[in-house]
Amino acid sequence: MSQAAVAARPARGFALPRFLTSEHPFPWLAPITAVLLVFGVYPLLYALWLSLHKRNPATRISVWDPDYNWLKILTDDRMWGAIGHTYLYTIVAIVIELLLGLLIALLLDTDRRGYGILRALMTLPLVVPPAVTGMMFLLMMDGSFGVLSRGLYAVGILSPSQPILASSGTALMGILITDIWQWTPFMVLIMMAGLRALPKDPYEAAAIDGATAVQAFFKLTLPMLSKIIAIAVLIRGVDLFRIYDYVKVMTEGGPGTATETLTAYAGTIYFKNADFPYASTIALFTLILVVVTSSIFIKLFKVKF
Amino acid sequence: MQGSRFTRILRDITAVVVVAIFMFPLFWWGLTSIKPQSAIFNKDEVVFFDFKPTLVNYQVTLLGKSRAELAIESGSTFGVGGGSTYDSRKTILDSLLIAVGSTALTIFLGVIAAYALSRINFRGRQAYLNWILSQRFMPPIAIIVPVVFMFHYVGLRDTIMGLVFIHTLINLPVAVLLMKSFFDDVPVEVDEAAMLDGATRFQIFRKVILPLVTGGVAATAVLCFIFSWTEFLLSLFLTNTIRTLPVKISTFVTSTGSEWGFISALGTSAIIPSFIFILLVQKQLVRGLTLGSLKD
Repeated sequence: MSQAAVAARPARGFALPRFLTSEHPFPWLAPITAVLLVFGVYPLLYALWLSLHKRNPATRISVWDPDYNWLKILTDDRMWGAIGHTYLYTIVAIVIELLLGLLIALLLDTDRRGYGILRALMTLPLVVPPAVTGMMFLLMMDGSFGVLSRGLYAVGILSPSQPILASSGTALMGILITDIWQWTPFMVLIMMAGLRALPKDPYEAAAIDGATAVQAFFKLTLPMLSKIIAIAVLIRGVDLFRIYDYVKVMTEGGPGTATETLTAYAGTIYFKNADFPYASTIALFTLILVVVTSSIFIKLFKVKF
Repeated sequence: MQGSRFTRILRDITAVVVVAIFMFPLFWWGLTSIKPQSAIFNKDEVVFFDFKPTLVNYQVTLLGKSRAELAIESGSTFGVGGGSTYDSRKTILDSLLIAVGSTALTIFLGVIAAYALSRINFRGRQAYLNWILSQRFMPPIAIIVPVVFMFHYVGLRDTIMGLVFIHTLINLPVAVLLMKSFFDDVPVEVDEAAMLDGATRFQIFRKVILPLVTGGVAATAVLCFIFSWTEFLLSLFLTNTIRTLPVKISTFVTSTGSEWGFISALGTSAIIPSFIFILLVQKQLVRGLTLGSLKD
């Protein structure tokens, strides 16, 4: 600290306006604000502007028609299917990942020897590129030579005539398994950190009162973890809602539209139909759903960052 | 929950089995990458260890050899075909440049912003923080179509620079919130002492505070790198010839038959750097995943 004191301030020939000095937040925040405005906010407004146009697929020209796409959404069955898949996927994945994460966290949360290695191993799935994860499970779920499919055939859960990813009844489940494999560790890590931060006293008091371990879990651990659970569910939920990589790599939304989520639908409209205004509308509608759903969640569970 | 010897052993076994189940896909992936085609596509039985390991898949994807060359070398004629499309050396270089570039830019922009948000009081600070947080929750699909147009007009489409910018955009909110939590860990008294000595904000930041949070900067950088390295959607929309690894690998899946040997070899190569990095930042991982709100 003394270095700073020793370093004499150079005499300035002119005085900068106050908002340009380092005492003011402006110089610190201007660069990042510029990046966020140019690459984040401007595209969002641009998307809104695009969504107010109607594209003619024959002439490839978009003309101003503000309510065309937004009304189209309301009557587009495929859109409502995508919304349904997205919510179903998000909710099922969250519930399973949270429960599994909590159980595995309780299982691995001990100082005993060797558990450190197990905990480190559990973090590995998190950093596999999701597109690669999708392919890992695509290979394992291959109808004829996939190891997972073969295992399920052997125990009689599935039959070779209905491969998991090619049957509309099970395809979404196949993608869910992939998601659960990759992201349960996220919950495990957060729950473990939560468990370790819990105070010890209430447990001692409960033990004196003769509470069982199960009672202690439901009456003490769960309520004390609720804040952390809410944050974890919010972060995971928002990410789940925009699921794309697995769907794109594993099923392309198929069979039919059985696994088509909102982002995947927007992608299809973009790549296959080149209907940019409608793709933007779907994407913006996704954003609206994210904002509304997460706001309700934040209000309901009083999430604070 | 100490319990008897029996319950302890039961717990050990359960823990090992659970972790083993989670490790199996990775193990299978690695195993597939050194299998010959005949073992991968065996429809009669699942081949575990009953095969002759081969490095052909790595030689094709990482060294750019063609299968025909390799077949001639080994004197076999099996599996001739498959051209330069599987050579992924340029992809790896592009991915690295994009990941390193966007990490550097994110850290530079994010760290200075995080310092100000941690230390300088101003009206609307909480609102500004909420705005940054809301950027994290925005689905990338919402901006991607306009970004494609925008990049097309300014010549950033299908360039490394374009992806650097867009990965920076996605990484910035996490980096700012995470770095702010590390700055918040340093007591304000440190700043105040330096300020009494006559140092300016910028001098305090550079000479006093920054050296105290290098661990946090490193952890943030690692998380940014991993994100950029594994990102898929934006790279898919924004590039045609410059390909990041995840996008390149996905092009190996075709309707006429996927080249699982190449896919798994390149996939394994893409996973390994992430694994090394993630093991380095185990301590700060939880904080990173929860945007700095939960400290382990």
